[in-house]
Amino acid sequence: MTLMIHDALAATIMALLQTAGLLAAAPLLRAAIKKMKARLQNRQGPPLRQGYYDLAKLLRKEPIRSETASWVYVAGPRVYFAAAVAATTLVPVLFAAAPLEAAGGILLLVGTLALGRFALATAALDTGSPFGGMGASRDMTIAALAEPALMLGLFTSALAAGSLNLGALVRSVLQRGPSFHPSDLLAFAGLFIIVIAETGRIPVDNPATHLELTMIHEAMVLEYAGPDLALVEWTSALKELLYLTLLVDLFIPVGIATSAAPGAILVSLLAWAGKVFMLAIAVTLAESTNAKLRLFRVPELVSVSLGLAFLALAIRFL
Amino acid sequence: MTSTSATVSTALGVTEWAIRERRPGELVLETDAAALPALADRAVLHLNGRLMSLFASDERSITGRFLVHHVWFLPGVRTFLHISAPVDPAAPSYPSIAAKYPAANWFEREVMDFFGLAPEGHPNPTRVALHDDWPDGAWALRMDFPYDRAVPRVPGDFHPFRPVTGEGVFQVPVGPVHAGIIEPGHFRFGVAGEPVLYLQLRLFYVHKGIEKRFEQLPWRHGLFLAESISGDTAVGHALAYAHAIERLADVMVPPRARALRVILLELERMYNHTADIGALATDVAFTVPASRAQALREGLVRLQDQLFGTRLLRGTIALGGVKCDLSPQGCDVLRTHLHVFEKEFDDLITLLIDSGTFTDRVDGTGILTNQAARDLGIVGIAARASGVDADLRRDHPHDAYEGLPFEVPVEDGGDVRARLMVRAREVEQSLLILHQVLDAMSDSPLVAQLPDRLPARSSALGWVEAWRGPCTHWVATGDRGEIIRVKVTDPSFLNWPGLVHAVPGNIIPDFPVINKSFNLSYSGNDR
Repeated sequence: MTLMIHDALAATIMALLQTAGLLAAAPLLRAAIKKMKARLQNRQGPPLRQGYYDLAKLLRKEPIRSETASWVYVAGPRVYFAAAVAATTLVPVLFAAAPLEAAGGILLLVGTLALGRFALATAALDTGSPFGGMGASRDMTIAALAEPALMLGLFTSALAAGSLNLGALVRSVLQRGPSFHPSDLLAFAGLFIIVIAETGRIPVDNPATHLELTMIHEAMVLEYAGPDLALVEWTSALKELLYLTLLVDLFIPVGIATSAAPGAILVSLLAWAGKVFMLAIAVTLAESTNAKLRLFRVPELVSVSLGLAFLALAIRFL
Repeated sequence: MTSTSATVSTALGVTEWAIRERRPGELVLETDAAALPALADRAVLHLNGRLMSLFASDERSITGRFLVHHVWFLPGVRTFLHISAPVDPAAPSYPSIAAKYPAANWFEREVMDFFGLAPEGHPNPTRVALHDDWPDGAWALRMDFPYDRAVPRVPGDFHPFRPVTGEGVFQVPVGPVHAGIIEPGHFRFGVAGEPVLYLQLRLFYVHKGIEKRFEQLPWRHGLFLAESISGDTAVGHALAYAHAIERLADVMVPPRARALRVILLELERMYNHTADIGALATDVAFTVPASRAQALREGLVRLQDQLFGTRLLRGTIALGGVKCDLSPQGCDVLRTHLHVFEKEFDDLITLLIDSGTFTDRVDGTGILTNQAARDLGIVGIAARASGVDADLRRDHPHDAYEGLPFEVPVEDGGDVRARLMVRAREVEQSLLILHQVLDAMSDSPLVAQLPDRLPARSSALGWVEAWRGPCTHWVATGDRGEIIRVKVTDPSFLNWPGLVHAVPGNIIPDFPVINKSFNLSYSGNDR
């Protein structure tokens, strides 16, 4: 009954469908968080469609590029986008199997996302604008700590499953049933912090700020306009959805489809959407109840996550 | 001869008849330019004097000379001391006091920019107000410079920013155009990674020639210009100008108008302080309290619209009184609103200071030491947050403040937290003041009759402790009672150098919140 996808054609079709679905849903996630944040502030907030309107607007616009920019600058958003799209194919969403799970597991996923980050950071340096450099340096500082923490958190789960492959991992978690093992709880807490850091949310970064001097991710992409910016924004939304899906996969895969029956897929879709929404609420609450951390405290927070991941790993061996 | 002028003349070491009490609370001393530094020393040493303004006036058509003016506030004797000294147009220079009293730094350079009078011995005698493209030798505030004269631009960029050297040390230029809806100003950070080594400012992008414009306007119209100097200080500046004119014309403002002026000034203080507190939360991305503060501020300006027909209190001050009144129902509406506001404001402050992530951002951030605040002559909220106990409402009361019991909140931290807390506590005091004034309102006319003409060849100082700090207007008249000079001093002009001292040692991403904690006006500074 395991749903291993051996057929290359089927895998490709599934990868395309899954990626398209995630790309379509990603702007909605961001808009939903915005809306919830606004409601917590007694504001109406933008409509949920706003994310799509914004993308449509940006895609129609002329891409203004700095005269001093080289191909690196043009390539940045494209590589960033491509890497995130590639990463989605390694993650199970509706089925307990990733479309291209034969290609690789956790290491490939983290590496692919790192490639996108590298491309964007180099592109930010390319124009020579001080903000790009500032953003790139800050983003890399955080990434240097966040990536090992992410790996460790993922390894903790992988250790229990005995596989680095995300599909196999989900199937193993599913088989064992819901777990409240301290190791899992610690790993979840650690990974949640990483998701906050990686998606540029308060208290690490503020996606809504206009203050260029305080930005991390936004400072890197400050110079982009039009379709270039649309790609960056869309990718960031996709990454956010991807990270939340990853958390769902590793810790609460209940409901995920193990067969291609329409009923199972529908249940899986609803379960996935519901779980992602719950996590989005958690992200919203974290954003609304905290002020942004002082930049030099961010590494401390990320270190906490690293510590949690270490603990989780150690407990796993006990 | 009053006892005040006797005390002051003794302390300054001048003969008693040299000092005149031109108007209550305003002593005048005419002296030689050479004596200015020694008098400054004595004013500071013996009388604890604080430099409130320093400027020049062109009286060549009357006396054949320029005058340089030092305006000190002497807190011990609750008076202003106005020292003026002639400067010969043939040798246009006068001794500088900036090396010893940094508060005079920008003032003296501005005198050079607009009058061409050189401060001798100034440690950095470069332009402060004029930008590179303004030609040398065009001194806009001299009387023989037509207000509508267009000067040719000088091409090129030769603004001397201090260079940075060292491995990994570089400059970050920010502005003059910023991402938010704020005014223009250029900040040049010298940084080693994130920590700021020093900060250089370049302002005066919104210099509008307001002081020159006053000289073209009939003095009654000057009021409209005064309330446009800095949009958030409409009452403060309008009132400072009105005070100067009323003192010139020797007019007493009726008691009800004085009470209403206090109400207007305190409302202006409250809505600005509330907005600033919210903006501080916004700058550290603490979204919920930021929205609540914005809602509170909006409630206040809507109340102002309801009571006075103007959201930001423009057009409420009249020369000789006020243009608006409060009906008994209006007083009740105001009282009710203040009660609700008090509770919600209290909740807001609690929400902020009970949050660990918030206090971590504001504690110890952007410290302006007490010593630096005193040396630089910092005023207003920024000074009181650095332990300088100064507030003209108490120290030299105007309007209905005389005899009103209220506290002047002083904090010692000098950091963003201290500037926040001074604002929060001042709002509490404003509520107290408003209730007292509302309860004691008497019936009287709203405006005093002003003469058709101002006295000829006279001058007077008007002062107000506005929400940001003291605003002073010095108004001088010519042979026909027309205005020949208005010197406007906004607290921002005195406080910008304070920001420069508070920022180094902090990291760049903390700059916005430090800047916001000062919240200085560009428009008021640049005029």
